[in-house]
Amino acid sequence: MPTSANSNHPSRPEDLIGRLNSAHTPYEAKLKALRDLKNQIIGNRTKKLVFLKLGAVPSVVSILSSAAAPQDGGGGNREFHESVLIQSAAAIGSFACGLDEGVKAVLDAGAFPLLMSLISHLNEKVVDAGARSLKLIYQSKLAPKYDFLQVKNMEFLLSLLNSKNEKVTSLGASIITHSCQTAAEQQALSGAGVIKRLVCLLGGSINQKDASLESLAAMVKGNPEVASKFMGPENGRALGVVIELMKDKYPRTRLLASMCLISIRNTSTSYLQDLGIKSALVLVLLELLDDPGQVGDEAPFVLSGLVTEKEDMQKIAFDANVINKFCEHLTAGSFQTKRLQGIFLALSDLCSKLECCRDRLLDLQVLNIVTEALAHDSAEVRAAACIFFKNVSRSVKNLSAGQFMNEAIAVPLVQLLCDSRTSVQYLSSLFWIFRYGYAIEHYNAVTIYLAVGISRLMKNEVAALGAISNVVVNFMARKSVFMECGGVKQLVQLTKSMESAIRVNAVWALKNLVFHLSNRCKEEILLELTSTTLVSLINDPEASVQEQALGLIRNLVDGTLNSIDCVFGEDGELLHAIGRKMRRSTSKVEVQIQGMYALSNVASGNELHKEAVMNQLLPQAVDDKETLLVKFLQSSDSRLRTATLWAIINLTYPSSPNTCHRVNKLWNAGIVSQLKNMVNDPCLDVKLRAWTAVGQLMMYGDAST
Amino acid sequence: MPVRLVEASSPSQVSGTTHGNTLPQPCSLLSVGQAFSGTQNVSSLQKDEAWRVNVRIQGCDLDHGYLCGTMEALNVPMADTPVVTFWEGEIVDTKNYTFFTGKWGATVTGLGIMSRVEDDIKHWTKFPSFPPLLSQVEADGGKSLDLSNYPYVFMRWKEQYFVNVGTDCGLTIAGFYYVCFSCSDGSINGFYYDPNSSPFQKLELKSTNDGRSGFSFSTYELQ
Repeated sequence: MPTSANSNHPSRPEDLIGRLNSAHTPYEAKLKALRDLKNQIIGNRTKKLVFLKLGAVPSVVSILSSAAAPQDGGGGNREFHESVLIQSAAAIGSFACGLDEGVKAVLDAGAFPLLMSLISHLNEKVVDAGARSLKLIYQSKLAPKYDFLQVKNMEFLLSLLNSKNEKVTSLGASIITHSCQTAAEQQALSGAGVIKRLVCLLGGSINQKDASLESLAAMVKGNPEVASKFMGPENGRALGVVIELMKDKYPRTRLLASMCLISIRNTSTSYLQDLGIKSALVLVLLELLDDPGQVGDEAPFVLSGLVTEKEDMQKIAFDANVINKFCEHLTAGSFQTKRLQGIFLALSDLCSKLECCRDRLLDLQVLNIVTEALAHDSAEVRAAACIFFKNVSRSVKNLSAGQFMNEAIAVPLVQLLCDSRTSVQYLSSLFWIFRYGYAIEHYNAVTIYLAVGISRLMKNEVAALGAISNVVVNFMARKSVFMECGGVKQLVQLTKSMESAIRVNAVWALKNLVFHLSNRCKEEILLELTSTTLVSLINDPEASVQEQALGLIRNLVDGTLNSIDCVFGEDGELLHAIGRKMRRSTSKVEVQIQGMYALSNVASGNELHKEAVMNQLLPQAVDDKETLLVKFLQSSDSRLRTATLWAIINLTYPSSPNTCHRVNKLWNAGIVSQLKNMVNDPCLDVKLRAWTAVGQLMMYGDAST
Repeated sequence: MPVRLVEASSPSQVSGTTHGNTLPQPCSLLSVGQAFSGTQNVSSLQKDEAWRVNVRIQGCDLDHGYLCGTMEALNVPMADTPVVTFWEGEIVDTKNYTFFTGKWGATVTGLGIMSRVEDDIKHWTKFPSFPPLLSQVEADGGKSLDLSNYPYVFMRWKEQYFVNVGTDCGLTIAGFYYVCFSCSDGSINGFYYDPNSSPFQKLELKSTNDGRSGFSFSTYELQ
């Protein structure tokens, strides 16, 4: 038989919400229900989601709204209303804490302005509750952007920063961290004297220190002027204080102090460049890696920010045995997703430029762990594993040893392409369906989510393609492993993607795969790719795709003599396409260089090949006085001059039967005089080839009249 | 008849601190994918012997003075198949590496063995293109030379591991090669240095082209 509800048991969510909503519930009972709700959801994500679904947030916000309205009576009534304000604000803050769905619900329900109004309340506890909840909202990207450039807003922000209330000042700093993004905003804040105030907060409570460190980092980021103001005399020993905070007893403070210093370092090469501080930063972050919580999860990301693109920092980290430490963590056991992603990304950054780092990584035998991660549940971890492979396989020495070309790595990489291609296609279809099939009020939210989803998938796809591009350079004969896993089919499909970033990376991977590939494998690839696709890639709207496609053809026709016929077949369609591309005045120089090398490689073939190339470079009916050849020979880019010279050298190669005839044509086109101008070219390679070309042409005598 | 190439004047000395680019410039014939073939003379007092050798360049990083590739030795008596090794090269560019092999504040280079300055000079001098540089090299290892227009590239090549045979194949890769590459025709000359082997074993290679009537160039780019 049902028992009456025991006040010690938590109420069922539906009952609680019922009580909150009902007009008949006495006010004291509503307060109790609010407390009950708050206690149930604190630190409990599952409960939060349950209550969210039941529409708890609008109910709580409505109560907050009533309580915040001007009240009659005083004394006990006021005290009671203040309790309601505190509890409802706290509940709202809890919903928003670390939960984007909660933040969205809270904002949609109109809580924001209500919470803001609590900041100026007379009761400190109410102020605290409001400030705390707002701060929790501001930790989310979904929080409304604060417009610092409006005078009223700046004044309000300054009042927050100057408040005597610790939570209010922290809130002010959090708003800066969240919303300060552009240089104009950084300047405006700096101009309003915010830095000085933040520097004061560095000496405050933990919350104030932490909030201040984060906001200083945001203000300084990428802005040398603001950075120098921070370092300036009017801020006293600000930098020294931050450096000291790297030794603070709280891990989070140490982490944020490091982030702040890294932000300054990355903004201007004038600061924090001595070895001492660089080493200190590495060591602090290394030690923070041992923290089992959120700080330990974030430490690798912060280390990435310190070393990315900086060879000197990577060397310092290497000397401090950072790689060993990271690998120890990896081999110690399984991790929560974010930390694993962070470690992979940090290791990728560390081995991006230095061979010693890659060697050390490979010696420590963690490849199998990263290989497994290529099939991890989390897309972020999979992408990070791909970036790891891309960077560690920059080691030509290990590519030569066939280190990365085996089924264990090839199969999951190909699978990633397959999966994300399907997902991108699926999401893309949904995108277009929603766009045309739904009412406009649904369009924005849904398509934004889809666009974000597609963009994330594409980033993952590009990451997988990056890794594949490098591992397929593998010099040993086992390139076919990749082909046997179905990799070529996937790459070829991706060359037809609507996204240019995908197309360019897919063609790049094919180009690298074809480098020194056997003729048999080249034929297989051509069968899958087809000449028609190659022609359309040469004519792709993006120059970067054209460049990679011509590089691919260059590699296809390199090698033994019969590789040329494999590619060009009978109708010469591809050769015509290259010739046309070369003749277009709008082609970029990188495209022209690859095209000329492709033609030059063909011209190193037999008579038929040489004649075919000649017809492309010096067509029969030449109205244009300045031929393509002369134009390219006069290019300001020495690489194009060199490529063109090789084509001429090959066309006039002495041992060929019909060389004489081609030499005549070149003389008549004025090439020889152009070449003679190049024998003292400032570029040594050009000079030497010009000499060779002149020598070959002169060998057949001056045939001009 | 082919026009004689006018020899470039000797590399100039760079006065004072280095300014501008004094490093060897990129050369098409010394780039990835390029192949060379010829012989290595392995004669000893007992007999005359030469192995056919094929070399291919696989990696090239001029900023760091680094080159690498494979070397394939054919008709090696102790082996059933051609023996392939992977080698790494130091390009003498006066920035990353000088003509002195072991003289780096008395630290040992990545080549793993020390050679004395006298050995260095003795070997480099055997290349006809070296004498114009000798006096500067004797003075400071060639650190102040401007090699940007010199049509020869000097290198040291060190074989790092066997690709297709075990280390018990009876062959040694303990030494290294002093190498001179000619930018104009892609020919390579080298001398093997190993205190435990016959001295001055000569490597002579020419640029090959896979049976083509001309030169072909392939490419790859690492992301």
